[in-house]
Amino acid sequence: MTQQPTPTPSIEIQELTKEFTIGSTTVSALRGVTTTISDGSFQFVLGPSGSGKSTLLYLLGALDRPTAGSITIDGQKINELSREDQDRFRRHEVGFVFQSFNLLSNLTAIENVLAPFLPIGVSADLRQRADHLLEQVGLGDRRQHRPRELSGGEQQRVAIARALLKQPKLVLADEPTGELDHKTGREVMGYLRQLHQDQGATVVVVTHDESYIEPGDEIMRLLDGAVVNGPQTDQSPAEFDTDE
Amino acid sequence: MWRFAIQNLVSRPLRTLLALAGLSVAIAGMVGLFSVAEGIDRMVTDTFSRIPGLAMMQAGAPLPLFSRMPAGWAVEIEKLDGVRVVNPEVWARVNVIKGKRVIAPPRFLFGTNIASRLRLETDVYRDAMVEGRFLDSTDHNQLHAVISRQIAEDNEIGVDDELSINGDNFRIVGIYHCGQLMLDVSIIVDIDLLRRLTRFDRDSVCAYYIEPDGTVDNDVLVEQIRELFRGREIQSTGNIVGAIATGHPLIDLLLAIQNWLAGGTGASNREAVDGDAEPIEVRTADDWAKRFDEFSADLNLFLGVMTGIGVVIAVLSIINTMLMSVTERIIEFGILKANGWRRRDVMTLITCESAVLGVTGGVIGCLVGWIGTDIINSTWPNRLQLYASPSLLAISLIFSTTLGIAAGLYPATWAMRLSPMEAIRRG
Repeated sequence: MTQQPTPTPSIEIQELTKEFTIGSTTVSALRGVTTTISDGSFQFVLGPSGSGKSTLLYLLGALDRPTAGSITIDGQKINELSREDQDRFRRHEVGFVFQSFNLLSNLTAIENVLAPFLPIGVSADLRQRADHLLEQVGLGDRRQHRPRELSGGEQQRVAIARALLKQPKLVLADEPTGELDHKTGREVMGYLRQLHQDQGATVVVVTHDESYIEPGDEIMRLLDGAVVNGPQTDQSPAEFDTDE
Repeated sequence: MWRFAIQNLVSRPLRTLLALAGLSVAIAGMVGLFSVAEGIDRMVTDTFSRIPGLAMMQAGAPLPLFSRMPAGWAVEIEKLDGVRVVNPEVWARVNVIKGKRVIAPPRFLFGTNIASRLRLETDVYRDAMVEGRFLDSTDHNQLHAVISRQIAEDNEIGVDDELSINGDNFRIVGIYHCGQLMLDVSIIVDIDLLRRLTRFDRDSVCAYYIEPDGTVDNDVLVEQIRELFRGREIQSTGNIVGAIATGHPLIDLLLAIQNWLAGGTGASNREAVDGDAEPIEVRTADDWAKRFDEFSADLNLFLGVMTGIGVVIAVLSIINTMLMSVTERIIEFGILKANGWRRRDVMTLITCESAVLGVTGGVIGCLVGWIGTDIINSTWPNRLQLYASPSLLAISLIFSTTLGIAAGLYPATWAMRLSPMEAIRRG
């Protein structure tokens, strides 16, 4: 199966609001966020706990619907998609990487990479691509290992391979190095950057650790559900406060 | 998907085994219970198939033992077109054999008119002789008997040995083996001898066995016989319908069946009201079989209710197992949905898992039930033989699979509706 390179999305976020009701209390996770994410960028979303970073990420991935506002990707308002279309959007256009790796414990590394395609069938081409991705993240010899037989860094690399198998337009990573030591975290981030370059996807990374930011990365800061600075391109990581 | 579902079940062996055990026990119970009904059904069908003639008894009598009719009617029946042989029968309960009380299984002294018996073209007992000989004219009024192999083995005797029955010493001249509980209870003796021993009225019989010659349809012949005796009175010598229990649960059950069947004969009841009562009942093997089918339906309903209790427990067990499994894997389902799995994909996965439980539980339950009936049959070869037919096993397996799928639907629906974001956040 050959797949034509797809154009990377331009993401426009307009007055995005998300409220959660817990009992009789309503909590505002996002308060009218308006921003853009450039095509093919490596975007960091920074902010303290409870600032709405993960909520924004899940809304970008159509895992939830906003209370108000809109998210437009490639001219398509994803918050207005039907449930079926949202499923399709996630299946074909979005790759997720989570903090807790979230691999399926019963499946081997290669099966985990192929997991998104289990319901619709795994072709030989897909299996070949999964093999290739595992080799790219340095796990070519561990494809038959189960998650419990892999280290945290290796599990996260499997998760990255899983997110990228579908050659997504958008990769959403929620604290991908949060459960890794710094050295392993840097390795994992390196693989993410390498695949970002290879596939040209837009990558949005939520993190607390600003040491992973490199020149050319885009940065968005959130505080109490609002953007405290507009999108900016990093020039010098040392300028940012990493005390979070 | 199936492989993934099986892997999920295998990865939680204890829970899976417990769910399988619950379902297997229910299905094995179902097979066991219905094998009793099938065993009775097969026994009755097989018994009737060996008795191609007509049985004539006093109306309302559950067994020939409780029936009384004039001995002189034999001559009238023989004159009817289509009748080959009329064989009068007298029956008596055996109370004591070799000084020991006979309770279960029951034994009956079956007095038969030897001369007419030998004229029968098909005789269920004579055709089943395995040792010695059947009764002949030399046995008239003699303490000679033909017994079943089961009775011979129980009493460790053979041909030419003596057996004390109700205090009289009989010489065993032959041994038969029908292999049917309902038939192998008889000790066959001369009818006049039995009348004398039991002080049975010499002008009465219990029943007539009528062998048709095949020139007249059986139903027509039955109607002719009914017509012949319609309106006649039988001077009762103590018809005690349903008043005596044999002490053997199965035979008592069959007595009850026969009593029920007898009570269900609309013709005699109806005509009694009309003042034109039928003193007799004549039944063909087909007639018995049809009436027994009606009884079987009721029995199956009863067994179905009993099975239902086990099944409800099994269903709850599967629902519980699948709910726990789903609850444990909420994050997993969230991840799968985040990766593009549709709601119905999640539902399919869980349904596959519960279907695997259903099929496996069904196979194990059927095997256990089938082996169990085999063991019971081997352990008590002279009792009712249970029968788990291929169709019973197939129905049980289909039922178990359906049950498994149905029980998985609620957990599957629950997992399907779960928001992926909520699921992931729980992690």
